[in-house]
Amino acid sequence: MSRARVIVIGAGSTGAATAHDLALRGVDVIVVERGEVASGTTGRNHCLLHSGGRYCVNDEEAGIECIDENLTLRRIMPDLLELNDGLFVATDEADRAYMDTFLEACARCHIPARELSRAQALEAEPFLTPDVLAAVQVPDGVFEPFRFCLAFLATARANGAQVRTFTEVTDLATSDGFVSGVEVVDRRTGRSETLGADLVINAGGPWAEHLASMADVDVPVSPTPGVMVTVGRRLANMVINRCNVPSDGDIVVPQRTTSIIGTTSWSVDDPDHIPIPSDHVDRMMTRGRSLIPEVASTPIRGVMAVARPLISKPGVDARDVSRTFECFDHKADGIEGFVTISGGKTTTARAMAEKVSDIVCGKLGSTAECRTSEVPLVSYRRFYL
Amino acid sequence: MTITATLEVFRCAPGGVDGRFESYDVTVHDNATVLDAIEAVWANHDRSLVFRHACHHASCGSCGVLVNGSEVLPCIVDLADALRQRSPVRVEPLRNLPLAGDLVVDVTGFFERMLASTMSITRTAEDALPLDADDDGGRSQAVSVPDGLARFNRFENCVECGICISACPTMATDERFRGPAMLAALGRARAESADPQQREHLLDLADGEHGVWRCHSSWECTQRCPQQVDPAESIMEQRREILRRRFRRRVR
Repeated sequence: MSRARVIVIGAGSTGAATAHDLALRGVDVIVVERGEVASGTTGRNHCLLHSGGRYCVNDEEAGIECIDENLTLRRIMPDLLELNDGLFVATDEADRAYMDTFLEACARCHIPARELSRAQALEAEPFLTPDVLAAVQVPDGVFEPFRFCLAFLATARANGAQVRTFTEVTDLATSDGFVSGVEVVDRRTGRSETLGADLVINAGGPWAEHLASMADVDVPVSPTPGVMVTVGRRLANMVINRCNVPSDGDIVVPQRTTSIIGTTSWSVDDPDHIPIPSDHVDRMMTRGRSLIPEVASTPIRGVMAVARPLISKPGVDARDVSRTFECFDHKADGIEGFVTISGGKTTTARAMAEKVSDIVCGKLGSTAECRTSEVPLVSYRRFYL
Repeated sequence: MTITATLEVFRCAPGGVDGRFESYDVTVHDNATVLDAIEAVWANHDRSLVFRHACHHASCGSCGVLVNGSEVLPCIVDLADALRQRSPVRVEPLRNLPLAGDLVVDVTGFFERMLASTMSITRTAEDALPLDADDDGGRSQAVSVPDGLARFNRFENCVECGICISACPTMATDERFRGPAMLAALGRARAESADPQQREHLLDLADGEHGVWRCHSSWECTQRCPQQVDPAESIMEQRREILRRRFRRRVR
């Protein structure tokens, strides 16, 4: 009997982890991606390996997902993570009052947390604002989203998956309520072809809605960009967060010899090319300075914006939309052989892949179980070999 | 506020077939980078343009191209600066790597070499701070690592962008030359390794007619590197170490 074939659209973190999961379960996988790996939302993310601290107070489910996956990623990609921890910093009485709520939420989500006095915080982080009153240390970390995806895809390829970059889906092959494959064009050669499949997974991130519309179904993804500003010097050991409800410019992620300040949040219709509002950049610098004063005298190295693929809920503001993920089996819309996975975080990509792969294997009649939480990934460099 | 610029972009089919420049007038926000402008060409003018990019903040290393004849990561070059240098702004793929289409180069051989170097992209052998020696008011001297934080990893500075391969005149004359990125990575991996046998093996890899001795010492790699990796100095250091080793073997 021939193996079931699944096409995954999108080589961001979700598509990459899904390809790896399915390949490990013996599925014949083809990934199609219109650009380079991670050239969409994943590539331009904050590089934050979440401990769950940013979500635990208002979104317990996302907080628990984050810490579980954080610990799993430490096992399967130890050489791609900078395990430098994170600090949630209180700089005024409001933050200080929030800290008790924060510590309780960390405990509920089993996120390890340790209180630091003002003196301890300043000793650990000499560039931190002298306004710091107290801080909480949690197991945040830093990764590089591009290599994160390459490692999943390199391992998928080692297990038989094909990955076609610069290959854009121009249409879904549909007949009688069935998606039977994709029509693609290789953007380097201009050649078109149809790839047949038993099932197609839409991992298009903020482009998921556009892809789903090719099968006349709707997925409620709202592209919600954020601006991040990178300054050309590393100003912290740990990831520095403001200890309060998430807001604009409340986090500084140190990466290599730089610091990434983020982020803002607004809505767009077209995620393809997002102009960066100058006032957002100014706001990041001002807010970043209130956590680390040295930001003011550090030159900007890069500015980026990209759309998060948040699952929209009627009447809910983007900041309050859950950062957890959802899987849509379009059987519910009358279309077989087509599944969309969206929402979530790069940190939780492996868990997203597990969920969608469980659903897909169920639909394909496979009983193979998920093994991705135990199998170490091969070198990301092998993706190009 | 927006700015309008003309980009002359190199277009080709895989293998460099049908190579030519095409001009595009783009209007972008006034704080746009050259990469933003390239993306605007794709988004608003010509969907067939292929280019590599991911992080947009000089961390992934995928977007390297020539802008006005020099190797750069266009994600950290202001379009306004590039325009002051030359108008129209000229964008071409990196040199000394096979052309895979438009601005995309084939990095297979490059990553084979980087894999062989064994250099890890994260490392442990660096203090947390200072990260930049100049002008921190001496504060970094006071840094200590509290309990539980002694397990810091650090990302390697090299982002594997291939800029040094493109800039290297030796690379243009000897395609088997290991190249500045791999040689610097070998030096880094050897510095990190505590295993004498592995250190010898890494030095062997750097030795030979396609290794450190092939370098013509033009220092273009060090000059162009966007991450201050200094491959040229690493090549010179490994030459010295190989000579020391030869001398030691002779007098033994």
